[in-house]
Amino acid sequence: MSYMDKSIEEIHEALKKGLVTSDELVKESLEKSHLVQEKCNAFVTILDDAKGTEVTDSLLSGIPYGVKDNYSTKGVLSTGSSNTLKDYVPFFSATAIDNLSKAGAVMVNKTVLDEFGMGGTGTTGHTGIVTNPWDKTRMCAGSSAGSAAAVAAGVYPYATGSDTGDSIRKPAAYCGIVGYKPTYGMISRYGLFPFASSLDHCGVLTRSVRDAAIVTDAMKGIDKNDMTSWNSKDVHLLEALDGNVKGKKLCYVKEICDINNYPNASDELKRHLENFMKTIDICKSLGMEVDEVSVDETLLKASPATYVVISCAEATSNMSNLTGFIFGPRASGDKWDEEMKNYRTKGFSPLIKRRFVIGSYVLQAQNKNRYFHNAQRVRRLLVDEWKKLFEKYDAVILPVGSGPAKKLEGSKDALDKNTAILEDHLQIGNFGGFPSITIPNGFIDGLPVGVNITGNCYEDEKTLNIAYALEGAMDYKGQVCKEVQ
Amino acid sequence: MQKFTKEMVDDYADKLLIGLTEEENKMVLDEFGVIDATIDMINELPDIEKVEPMTHALDDFEYVLREDEPEESVPIEDLLANCDDHTDREVQVPRMVG
Repeated sequence: MSYMDKSIEEIHEALKKGLVTSDELVKESLEKSHLVQEKCNAFVTILDDAKGTEVTDSLLSGIPYGVKDNYSTKGVLSTGSSNTLKDYVPFFSATAIDNLSKAGAVMVNKTVLDEFGMGGTGTTGHTGIVTNPWDKTRMCAGSSAGSAAAVAAGVYPYATGSDTGDSIRKPAAYCGIVGYKPTYGMISRYGLFPFASSLDHCGVLTRSVRDAAIVTDAMKGIDKNDMTSWNSKDVHLLEALDGNVKGKKLCYVKEICDINNYPNASDELKRHLENFMKTIDICKSLGMEVDEVSVDETLLKASPATYVVISCAEATSNMSNLTGFIFGPRASGDKWDEEMKNYRTKGFSPLIKRRFVIGSYVLQAQNKNRYFHNAQRVRRLLVDEWKKLFEKYDAVILPVGSGPAKKLEGSKDALDKNTAILEDHLQIGNFGGFPSITIPNGFIDGLPVGVNITGNCYEDEKTLNIAYALEGAMDYKGQVCKEVQ
Repeated sequence: MQKFTKEMVDDYADKLLIGLTEEENKMVLDEFGVIDATIDMINELPDIEKVEPMTHALDDFEYVLREDEPEESVPIEDLLANCDDHTDREVQVPRMVG
């Protein structure tokens, strides 16, 4: 009997009834971890000595889960998937992980990410490429690649993720699962390796909206160690899920969803957008109103560069403590700067180095207004556009990416002037700190695709309830990938 | 506006104490070219200079200060556990001055 491919509530019920023990669940999860490691390279560390916990009334008690390797975990290797921290063992745990531990959750592995979360392919971690469990020739997207692969493969019902541009929500789509980042600051970032502090969100990857609500309810909470966290004691995500969405109003953006905006559209893209419109019909059949709206296309096209400028600038500052002196493997050199340069040159991947140089350039006094401040201005304008939509609509619904998971061969992680706004619009959810959830909404050539629902700040309950209702009207809830099975 | 050149890329990398290969240098310039073109487009937006830059994800963000109360600190031994080179309670580094 397999349990790790079931929902949290099903597993909890089995535990309470004594049909299975926490130790047996841990054993099953560890066995699957090794299988998935062989096939997908999803983990930095597998905790073979993990032990079950007492089963209580907490839904998460006794149940295994995975932790993205940019969360600090006390006494457990936490690398950020970077050679610069390949031996780093924190002396404290991230608040979100502590909260899960208090709920009785059992960490069984640490998952691979793009180095420090600064990538969208799952190919730049120091332990190698993470492959998609639905098709090993394809990527999981990133940066929460290992977490997405493991949840999709049925290693456990959930894993933590982090999301600075779309790092939870795109891997979720590529792996046919649910990815949710709540309103900025609902989950403490204390102990999460910072990438771009004004954009970083903690969140979760699961196989259902209910599971996402359960896990986030346990992870969230104001934290004295994170002054950007806020008191969410009156937010009860699981309790709020009633599936009643009649009369709710959604909108989608014409400039993102209209196939005519993509002159050389592939057959894959056409089918993806057709599938999205079928999802819109399902929304309508649930009693929701859905309108097509227009947003200034120049602003949408400016979004990817805006994201790169802001995130690189913040990352350059955040990563300046990586010297190799206080932690990380000490490099050789006769002088302090030689030692530090050797550590950083050998330790960082080309992608990271590139982003640091760009970040440093845009922050120089003579460049700051043209690049950094203008990017922050576009951020304001885009967020204002979305806020205007939220005055009239309960949520914005949009397709995720331009189709299913991309092939690994020939993949790159660089800004492309031809990049469709379709690929990058989820960044707006980070610009504004909006609650945003991706759920699977179909298949193209046997590979999953996703749809995203984004609501206004602090309206997580409503946003999740819309996703919950839509999920219930489709056939993809709780799915585990086929190939690994 | 001075153009971002190969020499400047190397100079910035050097200041960050990062060494770049020729290929990595080219990748910076290629990506920066896309950013530059977008910034040109942004500069054409009407009254862009009058827009207040957005520095934080939440508009209603407020700093809340906690009480200034002493707490238990982390043992120095724990902090040094990840340091490859230390003597007693101090991090050892190559000479920086003189």
